[in-house]
Amino acid sequence: MNFRLNLAWMYPDLMSTYGDRGNIIVLTKRCQWRGIEVNIKEITLETKVSELSNCDLIFMGGAQDRQQKIAGDDFLKNKGPMIKELVENSVPALFVCAAYQAVGHFYKPYQGEPIPGPGIFDLHTEHPGDQAKRLIGNVVAELISDQFDVIARSPVSKYGINSATKQSSHLIVGFENHGGRTYLGKKLQPFARVIKGGGNNGEDGYEGALYKNSIGSYFHGPLLPKNPYIADWLIAKALEKKYVAKIRLRQLDDGLEKQAHKFVSTLR
Amino acid sequence: MRNLLAIFLGKVTFKLSQLFKLGAGGTWPGEVVLTISPNILTQLFDQLHEGVVIVAGTNGKTTTSLMIKQILEKQGISVIHNTTGANLLNGITSACIKESDWLGRINADWGVFETDENTLPSIIFNFQFSIFKDKKLIIVLLNLFRDQLDRYGEVDVIAEKWAKALQAISSQPSATGHNKLTLILNADDPQIAHLGIRLSHPRLDRGSADSRLRGNDKEKSFQLRSDSNVLYFGVNDKKHFLKQKEHATDSTFCLNCGGRLVYEGIYYSHIGVWKCVGCGEKRPQPDLSVWDSPMPGLYNQYNTLAAVSVAKALDIKDNIINQALQRFKPAFGRQEEFTINVPTSPGLREASKQVKLFLSKNPAGFNASLRTVLELNPKTVLLVLNDRIPDGRDVSWIWDVDFEILTQDKHKIIVSGDRVYDLALRMKYAFQQYNNLAMQQLIIKENLAEAIETGLKSIKPEGTLYILATYSAMLEVRKILTGKKIL
Repeated sequence: MNFRLNLAWMYPDLMSTYGDRGNIIVLTKRCQWRGIEVNIKEITLETKVSELSNCDLIFMGGAQDRQQKIAGDDFLKNKGPMIKELVENSVPALFVCAAYQAVGHFYKPYQGEPIPGPGIFDLHTEHPGDQAKRLIGNVVAELISDQFDVIARSPVSKYGINSATKQSSHLIVGFENHGGRTYLGKKLQPFARVIKGGGNNGEDGYEGALYKNSIGSYFHGPLLPKNPYIADWLIAKALEKKYVAKIRLRQLDDGLEKQAHKFVSTLR
Repeated sequence: MRNLLAIFLGKVTFKLSQLFKLGAGGTWPGEVVLTISPNILTQLFDQLHEGVVIVAGTNGKTTTSLMIKQILEKQGISVIHNTTGANLLNGITSACIKESDWLGRINADWGVFETDENTLPSIIFNFQFSIFKDKKLIIVLLNLFRDQLDRYGEVDVIAEKWAKALQAISSQPSATGHNKLTLILNADDPQIAHLGIRLSHPRLDRGSADSRLRGNDKEKSFQLRSDSNVLYFGVNDKKHFLKQKEHATDSTFCLNCGGRLVYEGIYYSHIGVWKCVGCGEKRPQPDLSVWDSPMPGLYNQYNTLAAVSVAKALDIKDNIINQALQRFKPAFGRQEEFTINVPTSPGLREASKQVKLFLSKNPAGFNASLRTVLELNPKTVLLVLNDRIPDGRDVSWIWDVDFEILTQDKHKIIVSGDRVYDLALRMKYAFQQYNNLAMQQLIIKENLAEAIETGLKSIKPEGTLYILATYSAMLEVRKILTGKKIL
């Protein structure tokens, strides 16, 4: 059977600021290396909402303020409600950085009215003002959900999991750079527990959010290259949803991924 | 009195740093002076006989300002210039102190300073008093690309700060007359050209434009005094249009109305012949579009056009400009060349090999360097990625660089630097097929000296090793090459 995934890349010309493309490249290549065909659908302002209906996996990245404003209206009124439906329907999605803020109920700037969001995730974000410290730097966090953890590792574990992979696959590493503080509602569980760095709000020690098969994270830009098992989890979930079958992905040689991961996870 | 003390201590710092060889005295003397006398730059600028040329932009400011300096000097004009990298207030102050006497007196015609993106507004504010006294200010704005978001902030925020500073100085009554303020702008960068368009024409009120859609509703129009000059430079050569748009683009939406920009053609990144379909704002016709560049690479064409525009604004003759450019030697790390003598085998005579070093510090710069290197048919390319403060701590941007153009051919690719594995990983995903063949093409060296040695060994005598490195990595490479640490 030939597997084929439609990967929706939301606003690639507006919401792609700092290496966000890395996630698309990693998802695409890791599918191709396993013989899974990938069709990238660039969804932008002019794209019809109906184009999203046959998408199997959604990615939306970071943006600068002006670009986010340009995309904001279209997202709130047109694409957002459709993505909400897909996410509710267990279609996997990855929202990083500005997209993570954008999928909440609202974003409250330091001054001015809150900017409404489509409420795909039960969360909201507040900006504490220019005087508050921006959360910038390398982040190391530990995945929380056992359920997630099992699913994250099971698709790649054709030959079982040795203790070394088990150890490293609990951790995610990345870089954060955000002023806004995000607070999760009751319907959401956090994605990871911060070991080093700021996370969602610099207060509660959590990073990101997990809802059904979708992930939101402040790890901006290329989240997936150094955390390839998250990419594999998204791919597996997309295939399971589309082909209604339990999917086991072939193990890939992730030697370089692990080295790059280790560099950040062992930073003092 | 306070200023005299400041200058005295600044001079002492300069002498001490020379005496103990603590670097070239690029920033410390200025730092000392500014601590005691924060507003001293205003007085120092005031003493220049003619005025100040400021060069700002994400990429190319070192090369451009050096070209301007050399052209002016060829004309017999005396110039104060800040050394490469020292482009904050302290570096510019240091450059003035270095040239002043012990009483802080300066005897020079022009100051030619490259300045950091975030420092440009404060340099302009330091100059605004001099403009009362018939001094001239020439501001050269090259381009704006995403660069070290963790350090500089977003491109739009920088552009807005620039616009405010330009507005402040151009609205001063004293800025009238004798072309005291000249702006030299890149017509092909929409974000830069828009600054000039805003200054030259009060904005037409377009009632139909939804201000939320515009995304820049805070923007107010302002008008340049009619006797100030805006000169544009740009490239008019369809041969150079890219066949495929690069990924690292920053400004493809109209600054005026928020509509999508359409391009007749793109030269690189978001630089090209642009037009807004929404409001009709378009790339201004360049005043200068052709001049021979002394260095390869389209980005150097832009640097040359910018520098020549300054020379033309100062009425310097073409033959003087050409003579200066023909002798132009690149600034360090900017296509700088090194000749390395290596023994071909034990006991045999030495052969010489070349190293060409390209500072490449952000996606647009890296793409530009890659294209230039590929045109030179490289056998081996060494890429070095560091994540220290001057490089930016965040290395995410490597995923915006089109390394896929590098992996198409069969040359060797060596990766090194603090973040060698991030770079190696990026390469892995850039190969069309990641297999044994690709692994033979990619060489991973944690140790930089070893990486350079491996690179030199892989090329034939008289051949060239091309090195692309981030800022601190570039300094390290130079140290290894000039310090003869290797071989």
